[in-house]
Amino acid sequence: MALAYHTELYLFVFLPLVVLVYHFSSQKMRRAVLILAGYIFFWSFSQWLVGYLIAVSGLVYGAGRWMEQLKETGKARSKGLPSKERSAVKKQYKAKEKKVLIAGIVILLGILAYLKYCNFFIQNINRIFAASGSGFHLNPQNLLIPIGISFYTLEAIGYMADVYWGRIKAEHNFGKVALFLGFFPQIMEGPISSWNDTADALWECRPVRSENLTKGIIRIAWGLFKKIVVADRLSVLVAAIYDDYTSYHGVMIVVVAIAYTLQLYMEFSGCMDIVIGSGNLFGVDLPENFRQPFFAGNASEFWRRWHITLGAWLKAYVFYPVSVSGLVKKWNHFARKHVGKYLTKMGIFAMTLFPVWMCNGLWHGAQWNYILYGMYYFVILLAGEAVAPVREMVLERFHLDCHALYWRVPQILKTWMIIFTGEMFFRAEGAAAGFHMFRSIFQGFELQKLWDGTLLGMGLNAADFAAVGFGILIVAVADILKERKLLNWDKLQEMKLPVRWILYYGLIFAVLLLGAYGTGYQQVDLIYAGF
Amino acid sequence: METLLEILNDIDDTVNWEDETALIDDRILDSFGVISLISELEDQFEIEIDASEIVPENFNSADAMWKMIQRLQEN
Repeated sequence: MALAYHTELYLFVFLPLVVLVYHFSSQKMRRAVLILAGYIFFWSFSQWLVGYLIAVSGLVYGAGRWMEQLKETGKARSKGLPSKERSAVKKQYKAKEKKVLIAGIVILLGILAYLKYCNFFIQNINRIFAASGSGFHLNPQNLLIPIGISFYTLEAIGYMADVYWGRIKAEHNFGKVALFLGFFPQIMEGPISSWNDTADALWECRPVRSENLTKGIIRIAWGLFKKIVVADRLSVLVAAIYDDYTSYHGVMIVVVAIAYTLQLYMEFSGCMDIVIGSGNLFGVDLPENFRQPFFAGNASEFWRRWHITLGAWLKAYVFYPVSVSGLVKKWNHFARKHVGKYLTKMGIFAMTLFPVWMCNGLWHGAQWNYILYGMYYFVILLAGEAVAPVREMVLERFHLDCHALYWRVPQILKTWMIIFTGEMFFRAEGAAAGFHMFRSIFQGFELQKLWDGTLLGMGLNAADFAAVGFGILIVAVADILKERKLLNWDKLQEMKLPVRWILYYGLIFAVLLLGAYGTGYQQVDLIYAGF
Repeated sequence: METLLEILNDIDDTVNWEDETALIDDRILDSFGVISLISELEDQFEIEIDASEIVPENFNSADAMWKMIQRLQEN
């Protein structure tokens, strides 16, 4: 039985049990408890493949120690040498370190690529041969993918790169690396943390404290509210239209694009609340993955507020390294002399953004619509930078204030349209389906479908729509308060006791009374667990 | 230091580059700003900026940038 974060088994059996055992253990034993809990959690999804997580931990631990040893040897051998030779010895050892880093990355990415993309290539090769009339056919392979592989692989690469760059010291205790990669709340859907974010706090194994328990439980309840009250209901409507997308057009496609975006936000951010709340129980603050994304004024800002830890990882380990790579430097030197500053800059942006968004698309999975989704944001972000000088000129020329509502609101609405369109492609069954849906928006809009009862034929009744509306309203109010810095999780704890408890009980009752339970509803799997 | 300030003012002359100490943390300099700046710095000061140098501590203030430039010139 899998221990997904929204299941009763996780919430009412596994998590309380781990907290109890952790609480009654000594500090040293607590570490073992958390590591073991991670492996049991992993086992519940992927059984013996837990060996893969342990192997990854071993690999990055070993790579870290090896790079450290090379650093020290390089330092010792260069000591006392004249500056030129010293620098040569240092370079020699840095090159060796680089080989270790690259080998580690190739192994991890190689396995990830094989497991996730092998069948994608087979399908596409078969398509090409079928189109050419050849009888050649490769059989897709039945591959078992370890749970959460896309998440801890990135953490593992980040750790090795940080050791290589000298940002962190290689860890000498294998258990600390194992816990960093295998902390059970993070395994399935992230957040993708860097070593500096969580490793020390996890290893400290702070005692269980009542304020952390309250903070954690309320955060978990808030996540469940978003998932069970809103996301699980919207998933019924979204599936009804996507499963039969050729029968819909006009306003219904707009409805499903918005509904899916909201479902994804409520689900993924809700899951993150459960994950971060689970971390709070053990006194650990995991990094936030969402920061009121619908207040973003442009696509670039949206990505600093949505799935933040993936964006931060790509920025640190793809965007910046590419930006200082030989190819970009060569372009910089050449273009400055020949094409002027603006085009030089745009060329650099294109060269650095392309791999970031290709990786973003591919990271989500081996489907053309994910690649299309990545390229969609690549084009939008590049276009945003290309028109930046014009935007600046307009703002200056007409003495406009970019923080004022008259500027900010249209910007936010424009960003919403970008987000909804992107998510529509993201959810589609392949790129062709995405394009079909996009085109069909303009074929007979039929606005009356919003009130003529069509929506009630999608598996949700009026009460469901009311519950969804109520849920969205509450989350929107909370997001507005957070955005205006009037509320955050710490401020909530400081409120007067009666107010606090009314809010807490209100939230728990809302989950119990308004959750999508019973006949007609199915427990809906976590979307991001599939990536 | 003067050349550095000239480059920075060229990027945005509304920022008080000499006094700001949280250019990255306060997002005065975003990631595009950083990579544009890096290419300028490499060109002007004949240095090679490695990915490991791109951390907030090296770009949060003009002073920090100047220290990084000097360190890289010595190497």
